[in-house]
Amino acid sequence: MQLSFAGFAWRNVWRRRLRTALTLGGIGMGIGAFVALVGFSRSFEHAWLEMYENAGTDLAVVQKTFLNTSVDESAGAVLRGIPQVARAAPMIINMMAVSPEVNTLVYGWKADTFEFSALNILQGRKFQDGQQEVMLGELLAGSLNKKVGDTLDLQGSTFRVVGIFRSGSALEDGAIIMPLDQMQGLSEMQGKVTAYHVRLKAAPAGVTAEQWRQEAENAVEKDLPGLRAVPAAQRAANNQLVILAHAAAWGTSLIALLVAALGIANTMAMSVFERTKEIGVLRAMGWSRRRVMALILVEAGALGLAGGVTGLLLGWGALHVLGALPQTASIASTTLPVATLLEGLLMAVLVGVLAGSVPAWHGAQLSPVEALRHE
Amino acid sequence: MSEGRGGEKWLLEAREVKKSYECGQIEALRGVSLGVAAGEFLAITGPSGSGKSTLLHLLGGLDEPTEGAVVFRGECLGQVRDGAACIALDAYRARYAGFIFQSFHLLPALNALENVQVPLLGSGVHGHGREEKARGLLVELGLAHRLKQYPTQLSAGERQRVAIARALVNEPQVLLADEPTGNLDSVNSAKILEILAQVQARHGTTLVMVTHDPGIAASAHRHVAMRDGLICE
Repeated sequence: MQLSFAGFAWRNVWRRRLRTALTLGGIGMGIGAFVALVGFSRSFEHAWLEMYENAGTDLAVVQKTFLNTSVDESAGAVLRGIPQVARAAPMIINMMAVSPEVNTLVYGWKADTFEFSALNILQGRKFQDGQQEVMLGELLAGSLNKKVGDTLDLQGSTFRVVGIFRSGSALEDGAIIMPLDQMQGLSEMQGKVTAYHVRLKAAPAGVTAEQWRQEAENAVEKDLPGLRAVPAAQRAANNQLVILAHAAAWGTSLIALLVAALGIANTMAMSVFERTKEIGVLRAMGWSRRRVMALILVEAGALGLAGGVTGLLLGWGALHVLGALPQTASIASTTLPVATLLEGLLMAVLVGVLAGSVPAWHGAQLSPVEALRHE
Repeated sequence: MSEGRGGEKWLLEAREVKKSYECGQIEALRGVSLGVAAGEFLAITGPSGSGKSTLLHLLGGLDEPTEGAVVFRGECLGQVRDGAACIALDAYRARYAGFIFQSFHLLPALNALENVQVPLLGSGVHGHGREEKARGLLVELGLAHRLKQYPTQLSAGERQRVAIARALVNEPQVLLADEPTGNLDSVNSAKILEILAQVQARHGTTLVMVTHDPGIAASAHRHVAMRDGLICE
């Protein structure tokens, strides 16, 4: 029965079990929101990167302006003339409703695009350009209960399902792919595309892949003023949908964390007030102000840590729920990266210590005599 | 050690200490000088409000005098004054002073053995050493069978014995007791006094006790009475 400093702190926290459990619930919700939302937005970004990598896309060519992502289709010929470029595939991406509950990503591709190389067609065939045909990712086909030969209504037009595919990317497995010309019609983007996905030729001997890619980027920007070539990883991170997902995730998480911090601050302030006499006893036994402060901070940090663990479990559960919902199944990964877990825990402890610092300072300032007289 | 008026070497000494509160509106001590020799048992008596607890707090380094000084082994307690060597109050309380209170003030979240270890947390004594020391004291005070009991599971007399063990665990040179038998019946009071006498004899600890009980005061080596913030006899 050795008593340690940390053990003493935890005993103080745990003696008010109901209050501690309620505070842990609050912190758990905050950290759970952080883990689920930030984890979700990161898995969303990762899914984009995976999609580019699987397709062998080295560069995405888009407009320089942030909001306007429409590129004239005539850019394709110029791109194909650049010496470093092997293939340049036009594509459109958009979000469309396939049922009142389900929104999904819809891609417009050419039938001969190199990006098909990443798809494994499980049933049926590839679509043909100019036809009202679609291919469905297997996740979406499952959730919509569609098979080859069925029809699908999109934006008032009817399309025939000609193939079911599997891809390495959750974004594609939950998506629809249709001919580019059909997609241009649906999106009113005749002659325009969202981006060109470019696959580069192999770098010649003596030139590093990095130098080769840089040369290609420079050539694109020289030959096509107003457009820029973005490496796949950067495109995944800078994608507007990803940026919005990150912003929403961080914004919501920070509000949840702030509420959690207020909960800890309230609990610690109450705890210090209730234990005023005990703090006086500790001071009478020779505890310095610094040690009293450290005790209260460790208590707050322990609350944060325990809340963090609760939050990780809640976040993990929430991600599994998102992974099972038809609206989000295609873009939610249920695996939590270790970095996100550690970040969640670190944030929980930091929130705890910061929220506990004011009560700790007040506790440490108590005069031993005044504290002992406290009723 | 400082020298007393009669040539004694004082271990602990109050020199013309005054203590006032609320900007001088309330004068708890109005110029008290008192020396305590090493190994001495000094009793301080007086009616409520006479300033005896305030004097005990100053002697124990729980508070600083408004005027005057408290000197321990020739060094003043508290802030450095006039370049004189001083001992910080926290360090004095941690190394040299032990407190026993009327209301015991045990920590409710900890059992008896853990309560006694609290003063040693952060003192440099390792976990096992802390436990052994606390256990040894509790056994010495007849509580070998109550180590794992929490304060609410102990009788008043047992609680005060745990508090005495806690006060002794840092091996203080001065034990300061504020009405240690005030909440006990006569049987337990006698037992606590016997324990304190044994501790004093065995460890040579100096004991300063505030009490209302004339019987206890009579059993001390020396007895001072206070009234209205002054020593009157």
